[in-house]
This record gives sequence, C-alpha cells and structure tokens, in this order.
Amino acid sequence: MGKGRYLLKRFVYIVFVFFIISILMFAIYKSMPGDPVDIMLGNSKTTMKPDAYQALYDKTVASLGLDKPLPIQYLAWMGNMLTGNFGYSTQYKQEVINIIGAPMANTVLLNVLTMIVVFIIAIPLGIVTAVRKNGVFDKTVQVLTIVGYSLPQFIVALLAIFLLAVKFPIFPISGVKTAGLDATGLSAFLDTAWHMVLPVLVMAVSGIGGITRYVRAAMIDVLRMDYIKTARAKGLREKTVIYVHAFRNALIPIVTITTSWIISLFGGSIVIETVFLWPGLGKMLIDGLLQRDFAVVLSMQMFYVVLSLAGNVLMDIAYTMVDPRVRLEN
Amino acid sequence: MQKKKLLSLLLAGATVLSLAACGQQTVTTNPSASNTPAASPSQSQGTEAVKPTEPTGQLVIGTTTDLDNDFYDASFNNNATNYKLYDLLHGYGTIVSDIEGDWVYDPTVVASHEEVENEDGTKTYTVTINDGLVWSDGTPITAKDYVFQLLLESSPEMNAVDGYPSQAGYSLVGYQDYFAGNTKNFAGVHLVDDMTYSVTVQAEELPYHYDITYASAAPRPMHVIAPGCDVVDAPEGAMITGDFTADLLMETINNSTTGYRYNPTVTCGPYLFQSYDIASRQGVLVVNPNYAGDYRGVKPLIEKIIIKTVKSDTMMNELASGSVDLLFQCSGADTINAGLDLVEAGEAMDNTFYRNGYGKVQFDCSQFPTDSENVRKAIAYCLDRNEFARQYSGGYASVVHSYYGLAQWEYQESQDWIEQNLNTYEKNIDMAKQLLEEDGWTLNADGTPYSGTGTRYKEVDGELKPLVIEWCNTSNNPVSELLATMLPESMTEAGMELRATTTDFPTMQAAITHTGDKIYNMYNLATGFALASSPWYYFSTDPVWMQGGYNSNWIADEELAAAAEALKAIPYDDTETWLTTWQNFIAIWNDKLPDIPLYSDEYYDFYSPKLHDWYSTAVWEWSRAVLDAWVEA
Repeated sequence: MGKGRYLLKRFVYIVFVFFIISILMFAIYKSMPGDPVDIMLGNSKTTMKPDAYQALYDKTVASLGLDKPLPIQYLAWMGNMLTGNFGYSTQYKQEVINIIGAPMANTVLLNVLTMIVVFIIAIPLGIVTAVRKNGVFDKTVQVLTIVGYSLPQFIVALLAIFLLAVKFPIFPISGVKTAGLDATGLSAFLDTAWHMVLPVLVMAVSGIGGITRYVRAAMIDVLRMDYIKTARAKGLREKTVIYVHAFRNALIPIVTITTSWIISLFGGSIVIETVFLWPGLGKMLIDGLLQRDFAVVLSMQMFYVVLSLAGNVLMDIAYTMVDPRVRLEN
Repeated sequence: MQKKKLLSLLLAGATVLSLAACGQQTVTTNPSASNTPAASPSQSQGTEAVKPTEPTGQLVIGTTTDLDNDFYDASFNNNATNYKLYDLLHGYGTIVSDIEGDWVYDPTVVASHEEVENEDGTKTYTVTINDGLVWSDGTPITAKDYVFQLLLESSPEMNAVDGYPSQAGYSLVGYQDYFAGNTKNFAGVHLVDDMTYSVTVQAEELPYHYDITYASAAPRPMHVIAPGCDVVDAPEGAMITGDFTADLLMETINNSTTGYRYNPTVTCGPYLFQSYDIASRQGVLVVNPNYAGDYRGVKPLIEKIIIKTVKSDTMMNELASGSVDLLFQCSGADTINAGLDLVEAGEAMDNTFYRNGYGKVQFDCSQFPTDSENVRKAIAYCLDRNEFARQYSGGYASVVHSYYGLAQWEYQESQDWIEQNLNTYEKNIDMAKQLLEEDGWTLNADGTPYSGTGTRYKEVDGELKPLVIEWCNTSNNPVSELLATMLPESMTEAGMELRATTTDFPTMQAAITHTGDKIYNMYNLATGFALASSPWYYFSTDPVWMQGGYNSNWIADEELAAAAEALKAIPYDDTETWLTTWQNFIAIWNDKLPDIPLYSDEYYDFYSPKLHDWYSTAVWEWSRAVLDAWVEA
C-alpha cells in the first residue's frame, strides 16, 4: 500500500468518524434540559404580555428551525456547517462566524507564545539534564519540574498575581489591554505582550515541567544506545553526538507531544481565561454550554473533532520525516 | 547541603505565599444592616481638587459582567452592563425616573404635555418636545424622531430583524393591526406637528398605576436608520413612507460592521459611542458636546468612560492598582471587607445603599405538598433566617419578611408597621410541627399515628403520601450550600424530608416554568424589583400569567391576587392610598408565603479618591450617577 492510498484510507476514516461523532454530539446536546429560546429571549418574558411573548417565542423557534423533527434539524445543521454557515448564536444573537474570531485569536496568541516559551526552555533543559543525569543540576531541575508539573494551574496563577501584580505591581492583574489605551502598532503590541506575561508564565510552568521530563527521558534512552557509543568511539565531538545523533533519535516522542500541543493551540483554558480575564475559546465554550447556545458549542466541538482527526494524520506524516525507518503503510 | 537548604526555603516560601494569596480575609465587625446606610452625595473630604467646568479626565468602570457588542436596546441584548450603556448613549426619553425613583416628564425634553380621557375609555397623551435638541451629528431632533421610534419598534419590518419583539406600542390603539402588517398606519400614534406627537392608550390597558409611562417615547435617528424615509400623519394614524423594508433595516441596524446596533454613530445621550474592542471586551464612550442635560439639566463632567471587565476575586486589587476607578454594587462580606480595607488605608472611597430586591426560597405552590400554606410556613419555621443572612453576607444584609426590597420607599415608610404586623417566622420547630399536624401530616409510613420521629405521612385520596420536599438548586452557589447546611436537620426534626437536586441554571429555569422533565417544590433564587413594580401580574390567578413566567410561584390564591390587583388602578399621585393598599398586600403575602425571603443585600460602590461627587442608589444607578461625578485632572 503506497503513501497516497494510506492517506486516502485515513481520509475516508476521518469522514466516517466525523459524521458518527456529529450525530452523537447533536443527540447529546439536544437531549440536555433547558430551553435555548427561553434563555435567548431572556427578560422579554417578564417585560412583555404573555400572549405577545408566546407569539415571539413561536416565531423565534420557527426562525431557528427548532420546530422541526430532530433528524431534519440535524440535516439542516450539518448541511449549513459543511457550506460554512455555522449557525446563529442564541446567546450573542449574531452569526457564530461573527463572534468566534476574536476569542479564537486570543486563545491562539496565548497558546502559541506559551508553546514557544515552553519549547525554548524545556528542550535544552531536558537535553542538559539527560546529559548530566544524576548531577546536582539534574536533581534540582527534577524537583522543580515536579513542582511545576504538579501544582494546580489556579494556584500558580493566584501566586503569580499576588507576587507580580499585587505585591510587586510589575504586570497587570488581568485583561488583554490597558483600559482606554488608544495605541496602535508597536505600542499596542507591547501593551498586549505586557498583559500576556502572567498568563503565559503560568501556562508555561506546567508545560516546562512536563516537556522537560519528557525530553530528558527520551534522551536518556537514546544515550544508552550502542550507536551513541560508536559515535563517541569514532571521536565525534560531544555536541555532535548529542544534538545530531542522540536528539534526532529522541524526536519521535517529542513529535507526539508537539503535535498534540499544536492541536491544543485552539483549545482554550478555562482556568487561565477565567483568572486572567482573557476572553478565549475555553470560556466561550463553557458560556455556550451554560446558555444552551448549541450553535456555538456544536461548531466548536466539531472543529476540535476535525482538528484531532487531522492531527493524528499529521503526526503520522511527521514520524516519517523524523525517522526514515517509519513507513506510513506500516 | 547548602543548595538543599536553599531549595527547601524556596518551597516553604512558595507555600506560604500561595496560602496568603488564597486565604480569606479576616471578617471584621460590620455595621448593622438594619441601619440606613450612610450614602452621601459627596465624599471627597480631604482633597483640594477643583471641580472642572468642562468635561475632563477619564473614568474606568469595572464590571463583573462582560460587555457585549450590542448597543441598541434591551430587546436585542439584556446583558446587565450593556443595559447601562443604553442609558448613556440614548437620551431624551420623554418620561424618566428621577433620583428618588419616581416617574416624571423630563423638562429638558418636554415643553408641554396634556392627558385627555376619551369617551370610549381610551386616554390620549399629547407631548410637545423642546426646540433646540440635536443629534450628535448636529441634526435637529423633532417629534418625527419620537414617532419614528414608536412606529419602527412596533413594526413587522423591525420584528424581522433578529426577532426584535416590536412591542414599543403594545398598549396603544391599533397596535395589533399595525404589528400584523394589516395597515401601514398606526392608529394610536399621531404626529401633531413638527414638535408634537400624541399617543392613545387602549381602554383595556386602563386604569393603570404607572400610566404616565404610556406617554414615554425616545427618539431614534430616522435619517440614519431609515434614510430616504419620512414620517407623515393621517387621520388613520402616523405612518412611515418611503422604502421602509426589513431588508433596509437588516442593513442599517443589523450589519455586523456598520449597523446601528453595533456601531451607533448618531445618538443623543450624555455620551457617544467611541469604540468597542472585541478582543478585550472593553467599551469606550466620550462625552457628547451637544447633550442638553438630564431632567435636572445636569451635563457630564467626565470626558471619557471606559468599561472594563473585572473578576470579583481580584477586583479590589485592580482598584488599588489604579487599573479601574469604580466598582459598583459590590456585595458579600469578603468583597466588602476588602474594599473597606482600602477605604481605611485611604486608597479608596465608598458609597453604600440597599438593594431593591431579595434572595429567596421560592415555592412552587401548584405542587404537592407545597401547595399547602401550612407546609410552606412549616419550612420557614425550620430556618433561622437571621443567622442565615449573617452567615451569608457577613453582616451586610438584612432579613425581609415579605414581597419588598429595602430600597423601596414603601418599605422605608412602613418599617414600624412591618415590625408590628408581619410574621417574622423566627425559627420554631414546635410551631412547624403544629402547622403540619393541623395540615393532616399525622401518620407514619404504615398508617399508624405519627411516632414523633422520621418522615410524616398524610392520607390523600386514599393513598399515604410522605412529606418530601423536592428542592432544586444550582451548583457553586453559596446560598444553596448554606441552605443545605441549615435546613435538612431542622426539617427532619419537624418530620419533613428534604431531597436536594443540584443542577445548572437553564435546567432549573425549565423546572420553574414547568417546561422541564421534572417540577420541584422549591428553588433558591434572587429577585429584583423594577421601578414600575407590578405585583398584580406576578400573583394573578390567570394561568396565562403563570405560563408566561410572571407568576413563577404558580400560586392561585384569590385573596392574594385581589390584594395585588387592588394596587393596579390607584392613581400614580395617590401615594397614601397606594401605601395602605401595598401594606395590605404584603401582609397577605406574608401570610400566604409563596417565597421565604432570605436576605436583602447592602451594596457598596468602591471608587478611586480621584472620583468626586459620587452618589448612587438602587434607583439611581451608576449610569445616572456618573453625570454628577467628576474626576481630578
């Protein structure tokens, strides 16, 4: 079986799984108690006369297509979604496509920066601790990474706010930008970057802890291999042995974790977004659920489904790139 | 060894700091909330700042509710923060509530007004507006803009814009035909001349205590919302001429970039919309130089207002750091004590007032066994409400005994009367037992006389039924948690079984409205009173008002309904009759007990010392108070 055929097979699998999950998701959300139209119309219920409210309610139900049988609703939703119409948000009273951009940008920006910080610190740290295994430096890093990895994010967040925003007011407590700032260009970017320091720091703490240990373990395994001894015996420089021969072979587990991290770029963090008031996808998803805003919730869930399925394929492809021994047909 | 010690110190330090960051503040002794809060018009003692004569400076207002990108009115978006922005952006309503919460004609807007009771039982209000009012773009405001609002916001065309309710003229003659699209003329609305309009109220809507509000209209910029259209009058009523279609409104109002809903460029309130940043959810308003003033002629002195989201856990730190200047309607002991610490340290000022509402246990009076008055009262006798209020609020709340809030003038006028005439339902398990005995809960599960322990039973239609109270509450709710601590033991002692179900708000709402899978006996909620408080709807025995969400207690009690209905027809200026009728109503309510009122909060505003002349109350909220305030340059 060639690479093209393998990819075709995976594509068919993705489509199949996508539709199965979409049916399950749709059924689950539709079975949740709570009336999205009632929530959408909110205070109108007690500011309008009952007959007028009922007329408005019926009209809204019809306009949203909620008066139709569930299979018809599913087909309409799926048909619309496949043509780029993600539906109407009952919570924001706008098209989903118009409201999802800003939180997605906020989430991606925060996650990308965190990922860069984590990889810049964690990979070299993992390699160094593997090379200096059982030394004082390694043990210190091991303790700190365990602490960073195990501390709940909200504890780290509160600690960071208390230390760096309240006790020593270096960074802002929350938000995306300074209230009333009219700046554009570089000034606006720097202001946002300043607001990002604490959330990135908090997210990076657990990320650095996890990935450092992951890289260290992978490197220790590789450094035990015979071909590393051979490379050293050949008189290669230690840096070449570590970064060219050892690290390249330790990349497979790192690729796995990197791919899952890239997929999670679009997944918001409820804790971080709530504590730092960073309006992102995590909070949007929870708010959507609490408000029974199914158009928003289902659109986001299906987006994550596609991302996860596609991510697995991308991971397979990445394996072949970092390790020529891996073949897709295998 | 040295390095190990250093590491230990670091870890110990981190632990101490995390405890400090997460720990609760020490609760201080609070002033009794039974006293009138010391709300003062100005608390700018100790400053030598000079009040500016022109708008200057900026005020950053922190809100715990995100601002949404929607600035038309509450029919499109009823977010609490957006609601206040409508006040600031859209002005010149003909009827406004004054600083005491009374409805009045706005003399800045209204030159004259006349009310005529017609022979057919209808009533016509004719309003002439003042000359010289202008939109923010300089266009003069005329009566056409007021008539346009009534026609626009009652029209089927507007109803097609995202399901806008189009209810503005609901009480007026000819509304049904106009809204249904049967006619282009709205019979109950007339453009009398360039500066005068009239509205005629249907006979079946009268008499009505708040009938002054029928004369209410607010201008909408016709030249922006319906360019090329005009308002003309005819004997059959006023109408909009020109290409007035739903498609036009979808573009001028609903376009997600340029629509008036999202980008209200031409307004007439004290402030103008400058920007909304969707990424940070911040809104910026700037002062409207063309604004003629509120009903007192007061114009804003703060040049720019910024609305910023804050989190209740850290908002006092935001105030201390200067990233916000005002936090309004703060409640709860932890938050208030943290704010008062800032006040004590001279880093903030405070303003306090009572809430116009209360937290409650709400009964469903259509469900067995809470359809029984005695059972509801027995539950009330099982709860120490004073202790509940103290524990819940840390002292910053008072117990109320009937359908009123501490901010209502009727309450303030009736405090002695309430003490003498209302049952305060002090905790009394013996009384609860007696009420249950009287109600027939006198049996054990096997039909033998009640032994004194366990759940009581009662024979209903030949069947033995247990005294089980199904209670629905929401998660992460301190009231639910406190009730779960204080109620079950006492109820068990009285012979009742309390079964709690914790869920989310939409599920509970579905249960309350009888549209969910299950209906419960009681819920814990909070309620607020509108300025036009209308209890005759909320306790009507007509099923329409129950299904419509008004009578959410589902109580069908003729005596209570009659007591509430008696208020409806009292003329607005007959305060004496209103007060005695209101007292009768709350006394009957107190006896029927459709809710157990739990607490009415004392709210605090905390603000930066740079803000002066800050005075707000439950009926004079921050969006009104900001006009009197000023900031140091």
